Amino acid sequence: MANLLWLQGGACSGNTMSFLNAEEPSACDLVTDFGINVLWHPSLGLELGEGVHKLLRDCVSGEIPLDIFVFEGTVVNAPNGTGNWNRFAGRPMKDWVRELSEAAQFVVAIGDCATWGGIPATAPNPSESSGMQFLKRDRGGALGAGFVSKAGLPAINIPGCPAHPDWVTQILVAVATGRAGDLKLDEFQRPATFFTSFTQTGCTRNMHFAYKVSATEFGQRKGCLFYDLGCRGPMTHSPCNRILWNRQSSKTRAGMPCLGCTEPEFPFFDLMPGTVFKTQTMMGVPKDMPTGVAKTGYIKLTAAAKAAAPAWAEQDIFVV
Amino acid sequence: MPGEEQDKLLIEITDLLASGLKTRTEPFPEDARQFAEILDELRQLATDDLEGKLVVGGFTDHPYGEDQQRCLECMYYLVHRKWCDLPELSLPVEPEWWCRLWRI
Repeated sequence: MANLLWLQGGACSGNTMSFLNAEEPSACDLVTDFGINVLWHPSLGLELGEGVHKLLRDCVSGEIPLDIFVFEGTVVNAPNGTGNWNRFAGRPMKDWVRELSEAAQFVVAIGDCATWGGIPATAPNPSESSGMQFLKRDRGGALGAGFVSKAGLPAINIPGCPAHPDWVTQILVAVATGRAGDLKLDEFQRPATFFTSFTQTGCTRNMHFAYKVSATEFGQRKGCLFYDLGCRGPMTHSPCNRILWNRQSSKTRAGMPCLGCTEPEFPFFDLMPGTVFKTQTMMGVPKDMPTGVAKTGYIKLTAAAKAAAPAWAEQDIFVV
Repeated sequence: MPGEEQDKLLIEITDLLASGLKTRTEPFPEDARQFAEILDELRQLATDDLEGKLVVGGFTDHPYGEDQQRCLECMYYLVHRKWCDLPELSLPVEPEWWCRLWRI
């Protein structure tokens, strides 16, 4: 039996909604098949008021062993570093976060807000939000760069806006069943099993990417979304086209550009007007190249690919 | 657009450019914001304002600039249809042409 506590800071509950839609395994499977005991969750917990307060105190003191502490949302530090804009159970949430993280065997940060600050931490960041161990790309965050939980791991970051439900439940199962040692984390403490490949890996538009045929409007079934509509699939680490959403689709498959939400910089360009859903270019060439591709190579590749493009690449091949 | 109609339109554009139509090849949009401004201008035009599209788009009937940029490498160019797929233009074009909405 592994005790799990889930709290929310500066959050929209999107990751909770995602979590509740998990299928492989489902949220119920965690309890019935994998021995996870959900001590409390903002949407599922039965205790109220003093009951929650006592439970939190018992987790901090060790009276209740806390195996997994899950945090969703940013750690709010406003105003002036006090954290009083996000009070919970009688004190700033950031104080609970620090003490519970120190008491837990494992700390899991779910979603962009908890991992790197996400949208709330976008400039000018009025809520002085940060992630658990990062603020955007900078190490540190609420727990500090050197933090490791009792089991010896830093916070396990599962980013996304929201995180895919099965990324969440599969990591929780790994941790709860004693297989945390099998988890390899990348430089941003993301499980490498999910965040080494790209969103583009498995995208149904890869042929259009290869032949440089662009989608020019949302929802078009032909064409690649990278060239014009700002898709960040070629430079975003996620398995969105390998572990499908709702088990059947993804943003790019549905004609919606990837927003790069599993990367620390999300939302990109601080949401300045004209930067969303539009590929940013400099003199006609994309500012952000697919990861590992140089500008000169890209230009040469474009010329060759356009010259070699077959006729079908310009047509809608996903007919119904 | 049916093939015959497209061919006719292509000839019309070819003639307009060959006759020395003055188009706005400069300034080339340096970033997405300037690019969007040109698109906004194009959207103000009547859909059948062919000359307006060519002028605002900055069309030339030959490669342009130091890098000899041309439609053939442009993201919006459909090689087999010989067509510019940018919704604000939607015109038949030749691969050796160019306009200032070129991007790759």
